[in-house]
Amino acid sequence: MNHMKALNKKAVLLDKAAQEGNAGEVTAMAAAVGCTTVFDPGWEVDAFGGVGGLCQPMEADLYGCTDPCWWPAQVPDTLNTYTEWSSGADSAARDWQQLKSVFPK
Amino acid sequence: MSKGYTGSRFWRFALPLMAGLISFWTPPLQAAEKLTGKDLVNEHCADCHKAVDGGGLGRISEARRTPEGWDMTVARMTLIHGTKLTSAERQAIVKYLADTMGLAPEEAQPWRYALDHNPEAADFLENKLVGETCARCHSYARIALQRRTQEDWLRLSHFHVGQFTTVELQNNLRSVNWWEIASKEIPKLLVKHYPLNSEAWTKWQQQPKMNPAGSWRIAGHRPGWGDYEGTLTVTEKQADEYALNLELRYAGGKTQKGSGNAIVYTGYEWRGTVMQGDEAVQQVFTLSDGGNRMQGRWFIKDTDALGGELRGAKVGGKAEILAVTPGFVKAGEKQQITISGVGLNGDVSIDGGVSVSRVVSSSPDKIVVEVQTSAASTKGLHAVQVGTTAAKNALNVYQQIDSVRVLPDPGLSRVGASGGKIPLVPIQFEAVAYSTGEDGKPGTKDDVRIGVVPAQWSLDNLNASAAAMKDLRFAGTIDAASGLFTPGAAGPNKQRKFGTNNFGELKAIATVEDGKRKVKGSAPFIVTAQRWNDPPIR
Repeated sequence: MNHMKALNKKAVLLDKAAQEGNAGEVTAMAAAVGCTTVFDPGWEVDAFGGVGGLCQPMEADLYGCTDPCWWPAQVPDTLNTYTEWSSGADSAARDWQQLKSVFPK
Repeated sequence: MSKGYTGSRFWRFALPLMAGLISFWTPPLQAAEKLTGKDLVNEHCADCHKAVDGGGLGRISEARRTPEGWDMTVARMTLIHGTKLTSAERQAIVKYLADTMGLAPEEAQPWRYALDHNPEAADFLENKLVGETCARCHSYARIALQRRTQEDWLRLSHFHVGQFTTVELQNNLRSVNWWEIASKEIPKLLVKHYPLNSEAWTKWQQQPKMNPAGSWRIAGHRPGWGDYEGTLTVTEKQADEYALNLELRYAGGKTQKGSGNAIVYTGYEWRGTVMQGDEAVQQVFTLSDGGNRMQGRWFIKDTDALGGELRGAKVGGKAEILAVTPGFVKAGEKQQITISGVGLNGDVSIDGGVSVSRVVSSSPDKIVVEVQTSAASTKGLHAVQVGTTAAKNALNVYQQIDSVRVLPDPGLSRVGASGGKIPLVPIQFEAVAYSTGEDGKPGTKDDVRIGVVPAQWSLDNLNASAAAMKDLRFAGTIDAASGLFTPGAAGPNKQRKFGTNNFGELKAIATVEDGKRKVKGSAPFIVTAQRWNDPPIR
């Protein structure tokens, strides 16, 4: 760390927190920035009721939701229930048009 | 199913062997078609669901659901447990289960919006803790449209942690001791609110069967198209199954003719599929009053945000006014109104200084009159009477439009289609005019609803972050005359910052003309992601 210099505000805060012994807390906060982990935005809306805080483009994180069974009411969970759902569509950003609705009508 | 039939180890192994031996002469398809729903439940479910004390099969006889609820359960059995069913078998099983283990009308009533997919409805969270525990992922209605024993509610909690293993970690649930709540407090609450046995269900099962066959008068409203009245002919095909012919005549001049079929579940849950003009439509109605009335919402298949509400009365039943269109007239003006109903007989009268100046046409199902108001006519809602048949609050005499509210508020649109498999979700906005109430201030609780009025429609960014992301440019368009919003294309958009989707936070703005005045109203809405899991109850 002695040879690394913080370049942006977040890195400065992280650096400061590490020096003060609060690195764990800052890491958890950092994980929430831009993507769903601790402070879940929801599938449709973010914590503020809008869409600006959602993971976007959604396709970049879609399998990050389906693989660990996140939002199983909205997207198929490939962990247990629809294990083959995304087979053959390896890149959601490229192959999203192949993905089907799972409820059998 | 008698006890021991499937429970016997002998039969469990002997039956497949025997089936293999005798299959050369058994026509399985024809045999399956003749099986009743009860037979099919025994044939397909009883291997896993063992007979329980008091009759019935484990879990199946410990819960009651709507037709959609049972269909979701049966669908899950095919998805997760490998049950093989044809669509006819699935249908027959759902029919049998909904008939024998359904919900009484009053039990389903508070949550019907989840069945008819009304885009203007908000979820009704009857119990706060149940809402916090269950309705952070799916609707509260999905829970409240079920009835179970306490043991079976507990099994549902177990099912969730087993099937959706990260459920405890989601939606801030890690901040509470979720499993303690879900396994101890929630089953007690659920059985208190939604028990297997209820007086309502016992009484409902004793009701005489309703037969909707006959000629009906129907009326309703389709957002974007306006009020309509029409006819529906219901012909019985076999028990609880009907052929339909209908005609909808919209106030704006459009007409839709159609035909299709309907099935009645649980004695009152009407589910129809019709081609209405060139639109494939699903009907989610209820029958009541001994089969003389129906009510509900219909929507376009795969685009359930678009549709209309419907009320119906059977011809030959009690005289009734179904609709007065338009339901408002400006004080001091003369206007033609249409009264639709059944058994209409007698003079038309309206109280509060509104006179009927001319009868344009009159028949038992439709009366067109010209009404004359004056500046002295009483403002507000008036009863319209035909002979001895009255409709309360059917005609609103207003001074001026003081405010406009836009519905739905808030709205929700989803990107879709664009070469993908998921249909887009549009929003049909409507402008509803109001006059101020006694407080003289627009936009307060005592405002008086005048009715749906034509508007010029436009969009704007909802907030600063939407403006920064240029949501207005990318998230979709609105038809200036009809108020129909269509979202932008699905998929990542390289033209946008971060290559993001055409999501956005916008507002729909209605500009309504009232004489020379212009009155504006708006509603916020979001354009967001597709659902890839879209069951009948969300």
